[in-house]
Amino acid sequence: MITNYFKIGFRILIRQRSYTVLNILGLSIGIAVFVFIYLYVQSEIRYDRYWSDSKNIYRVWNEYSLEGKVEKVAISPFRLAGTLKKNFPEVVEATKLFFTDPSDVNDMSSLTYNGKVYEVPNITLSDSGLFRIFNYNFFEGDPRTALSKPNSMVISAKVARQLFGNEKAVGKKLKTVRREYTVTGVFDKNTCPTHLDFDAVVSEYSLSPKSLQKMNSDWFWLGVYTYVKLADTVSPESFEKRANDFISKQISAFIDSANINIDGYMVYSLEPVRSIHFNTSLAYDSPSNTNSGYLIIFSIIAGFILLTASINYINLAMARSLKRAKEVGMRKVLGAFRKQLAMQYISEAFIVVFIAFILALSLVELLMPWFNALVGKNLTLVGNLFSRQGIVFGLLLIFMMIILAVVSGIFPAFILSRYNPANVLKGNNFFININGKRGISAGGIRKVLVVIQYVVSIGMIIATMIIFSQMKFLKNYDPGFDEKNIIVINTPDDTAYYQQADEFKIELKAIPGVIGVSTANNAPGYTYGKSLFHAGDTSDKALQTLSLYIVDTGFFNVLKIPLVEGKFFDSKMETDTGHYYIINQAAAKDLDLDEPVGSRLEVSFFEKTNGRIVGVVKDFNFYSLHTGIEPLVFLLYPKESRYILVRLDEKHKNVAIAEINKVWDKYNKGHFMHYTFLKDKIQSLYGADLKMLSVFIYFTLFVMFISSLGLYGLSSFLIEQRTKEIAIRKVLGGSDRRIILLLIKDYFRLVIIAGLLASPVVYYLMNKWLNTFSAHISINGWYFVAGILLMMALAFLSVVIRSFHVLRQNPALALKYE
Amino acid sequence: MIVTEGIKKIFQAGDVETIALRNVSLTVETGDFVAVMGPSGCGKTTLLNILGLIDQANAGEYYFLGHQVSRLSDKQKAKLRKENIGFVFQNFNLIDELTVHENIELPLIYLGWKKKSRKQRVREIIEKMEISHRKNLFPLQLSGGQQQRVAVARAVVANPALILADEPTGNLDSMHGEEVMNLLNDLNKEGTTIVMVTHSRRDASYSHRIINLFDGQIINENLNKLM
Repeated sequence: MITNYFKIGFRILIRQRSYTVLNILGLSIGIAVFVFIYLYVQSEIRYDRYWSDSKNIYRVWNEYSLEGKVEKVAISPFRLAGTLKKNFPEVVEATKLFFTDPSDVNDMSSLTYNGKVYEVPNITLSDSGLFRIFNYNFFEGDPRTALSKPNSMVISAKVARQLFGNEKAVGKKLKTVRREYTVTGVFDKNTCPTHLDFDAVVSEYSLSPKSLQKMNSDWFWLGVYTYVKLADTVSPESFEKRANDFISKQISAFIDSANINIDGYMVYSLEPVRSIHFNTSLAYDSPSNTNSGYLIIFSIIAGFILLTASINYINLAMARSLKRAKEVGMRKVLGAFRKQLAMQYISEAFIVVFIAFILALSLVELLMPWFNALVGKNLTLVGNLFSRQGIVFGLLLIFMMIILAVVSGIFPAFILSRYNPANVLKGNNFFININGKRGISAGGIRKVLVVIQYVVSIGMIIATMIIFSQMKFLKNYDPGFDEKNIIVINTPDDTAYYQQADEFKIELKAIPGVIGVSTANNAPGYTYGKSLFHAGDTSDKALQTLSLYIVDTGFFNVLKIPLVEGKFFDSKMETDTGHYYIINQAAAKDLDLDEPVGSRLEVSFFEKTNGRIVGVVKDFNFYSLHTGIEPLVFLLYPKESRYILVRLDEKHKNVAIAEINKVWDKYNKGHFMHYTFLKDKIQSLYGADLKMLSVFIYFTLFVMFISSLGLYGLSSFLIEQRTKEIAIRKVLGGSDRRIILLLIKDYFRLVIIAGLLASPVVYYLMNKWLNTFSAHISINGWYFVAGILLMMALAFLSVVIRSFHVLRQNPALALKYE
Repeated sequence: MIVTEGIKKIFQAGDVETIALRNVSLTVETGDFVAVMGPSGCGKTTLLNILGLIDQANAGEYYFLGHQVSRLSDKQKAKLRKENIGFVFQNFNLIDELTVHENIELPLIYLGWKKKSRKQRVREIIEKMEISHRKNLFPLQLSGGQQQRVAVARAVVANPALILADEPTGNLDSMHGEEVMNLLNDLNKEGTTIVMVTHSRRDASYSHRIINLFDGQIINENLNKLM
C-alpha cells in the first residue's frame, strides 16, 4: 500500500514537472534558511556550556551606588577572587581575569620573538585558577600549573602558529618591552563558544610586587572579572548573602582606614556563566554578549519563512486539486476511505519535502562560508551533524520533515477527499469554488493562507526599510564633533615613550598631511570608567560619578568640539602647577553649577586633584546612540595618555599614515603601531544593529522570493481554471487590460488586507527597537504605503506574467472543448 | 437486488431548486440487465449515482441487497459499494498516473486483497479482456475503445454482483462500442446484474428491459425481449 502511494506520488510529481519544481524550490530555500538560523541559534545558546560543571561556575558582578546613582558593572576588585577563595570553603576555585576590550589593543599587544615584533590581539592577566575553572583544551603544557609561576605566559594555538610555526611553543621566550615571558602552555581558543576572549594570558605574579600589593589592598579599584566555581551542594543565593556580609565588613574597615567619606553601597551578585552571553545590562562586559531578543526575532522569522514555503505547497496543491478531482472521485467510487486518500496526498508531500530537504542541506553546505561571513561565526553543517548534539539535530530534521509533509499534505487531502464523487465524475467542477454551506471553502482557506504570506512579507519589507533608514540616519548623524579623517593610535605602555612623548608629538605634527595631534586617555567610542567628583567649594558637597577624559591642549581642536563658555586649555595651563577642567553642558547640569566657569572641582584620580573649571563645551555623543549624551569632564594632564589622535588631511591620508609609521618606528622600537579610524570605531558600536540589518535584508528577499514563487504558481493554476471565462470575455470584446485588472483585483485586495494587519504589529515592534537609540528617525505612514505598494507590484508581476500567456491564446481554442 | 420506493432528488444552487428525480420506484432482480433511457437532463445519471451509493436521495427509500441505504453510514456504504458494485463511465475515468495493470488492480487494493492474489486475479481479467500486451501502458497511450475495455476490466475485477454503466459507448465509435456491449452482455450471461444508462437504442437492445425517464419520472417500462 505504502509503496503504491509513493509510486503514484512520483508519477504525479513527474507529470506535473513545473509544479513540482516550484514547490521544491520554495521549500528548499525555506528549509535552508531555517537550518542556517537553527545552527546560528544553537551556537549562541551553547555559549559557555562546555566547561565541566558549568552550572556551578559563576561570575561575580557588582552593583554600586553613589549619591543615588546606580551602576551595574561586570567588573570587580582585584582582591575579590582571593578573598572569596580564602574565606569560603564552598568556593572550589576562584579566578580573576584582567578587563580588556578585545576591540582595543592594550599595552602588551606587541611581542618580540627572535628580534621580530608581532602583534597579538588580546593579552590579559590572570592566575592559575583560570584554566582550572575553564577547562580549555591544551595542545602543550599543563593547564593546572601553567599560570602559577611569575612571567609565565599561555598562548592560543593561533598565536603559537603565528610566532613559532610548527615548532614546539612551550619553553620559548617572548619579550614585551618590560619583561621576558616563558611560554608554559598552548590552548585551543575554539574549545567552545565563550564570552571569554583572549589570545594570551600572563600570570598575575608578573606584576611588580609593589603594584600587586597595591591592588590587593584596594576595594574600589575595579579592573578584573571575578569567576568562582562553587561546590555542588551550595546554593548560590545563600553564598551570595554570606559573601556580601563578609565583604561589606572588609569594605567598611577599608573606608575607615583610608579615611574616605562615601554615601553609597556596593553589592556583589552571582551570575551563572551560561547566561553571561545573553546579559547586556552590565557595563564593561564582553562585547560578544548579545540580546536574546535577536535570537527570538531570528527564530520567529525562520518559522515564518518555513510557513511561507509550506503555504505555497498547500495553496498549489489545493489549486491543482481541480485537475485531480476526477482521480479522487474515481478512487472514492472504487472504495477508498478518506484516510487512504489523505495518505496518498501526504505521501506526495513527503516526496517533495524529502527532495527539498536534500537540496536544502546541499544549499546550506554550499552557502556556509557566505553565511559565516554574514553573522561572523564559524559554523559547519557536517560538523554539527556529527557532533555530540548531532543526534538531536538529525532527529529535529526528520521530525521537521514529517511535520512539514503532514501539514502540507493534510490540507489538500482534507479538501479533496471531501468532494462528492457524483459531481466530480460528471465533470462539472463549479462546486469546488462554491462548496456549498459546508464550512470554509478551498478558495477561502487559500485566501487566508495567501494573506498570511503577505502579512509576513509586507511586515518584513516595512521593518527592513525602517531599520535601513535608522542605520542611514546613524551614519549621517552629527555626533557633535568631527569624526572624519581621524586615526586613533594606541600609545605603548612604555616609560621610554613618555620620556620622548613631546618630541614624538612635535615630529608627528610636522608630517605633511597631518592637521592636528592630541593625546588622551579616552576618546569617543573608547570611553571607559567613571570617576568620583566633588564639585563646589565646600568639601561636604555631593560626590558624583562622571566620565573623565584626561587630555592635552590639542584635544578640542583635533575633534572640533565647540566651546560654549569660558576658554579652552592653553599651553600656559599645561606648564603651571594647578589643575584645570573643562566640562560639557550635561555635566554642568549634573553637578548643579549655575556658573560653572570658575567653580572648583575635585577628582579622586591618583590622589585628590583639586582644580578649577575654565570652560564649558557643547554636548556631543561620545558613545553610540544607544546611550544618550552623558556628563563628561576633561582634565588637562598631558602626561597621561592611552591614545594619540591624529587629524589627517583627507587628500593625503595614506601618505601621511605611512610617514607616521616611520616616525613611530623611530621612537617606539619593539612596539607595533596599531591604529583605527575613529569613524570605523564608532560605526563598530552599531555592529549588532548592522548585523540585524543585513540578516533582515536577506531574510526579506527570501520571503519575497518564496511568496512570489507561490503566487506565480497559484495564479497560473487559477488562470488556467478561468481560461474559459477569459475566452468568453475576449469574444465579447474585453480588452487585455481590463481582463488583467480583473485577474489582479483579488490579489490587490488581499495585499491591502495583509498590509492593514501587518502595519500595527510592525509599528509597535519597530518603535520598541528605535527607542533603544537616544536619537532616531520617526516612523511615518510612507514606510507602510511603500511596503504595501512594493508587495502589490510583486503580486502584479507574478500574476501578469502568467496572464499574458493565456491572453495571447486564441479564445476559440479554449471554448472548443466546452 | 435493487428496490427503490418513491425516491426524490433535488439539486439546489443558490435559490434555484432543480428536481432531478421525482417519485422513482423500481425493482431490479439479480441477473437482470436494465437499460435506462431518456433525453439529456432527465435524471438518468442521478439515478445511477443513487443506485451506486455515491449520491443520496432526498426522500423515498432505497434497498440494496436488503440493506436500507438511508440508515447506513458513509463508511458502511463505501464498504457495500466496493464489495458489490462495479462502475463503467462514458469518459472511462481511468487514473492517468496508473498503468493499465494498476488501474485494474486498484479496487482490489481498496478491498484489502493480498498482493499475490491481486496479481493473479488481475492477470486473469487482463487475459479475458485480451489486453495483456498493453498492461504496462498508461491510459493516455490507449485508444478510446481500449480504455473502455480497461474500465470494464476494472469494474469486474472484484467480481461485483452489480455493474452500473453510464453511457459506456458514448465516447466510442460503433465498432468499439459493439465490442464493449458484447463484453457487458457476456458478463450478464455469467450472472452479473447490469444497470446501464444510454442514449443509444442499439445499446439498449442488449438489455432485458428498458426504463424510460422523462423529467425525473419513469414514464414507461418495456420488457425488451417482448419488443
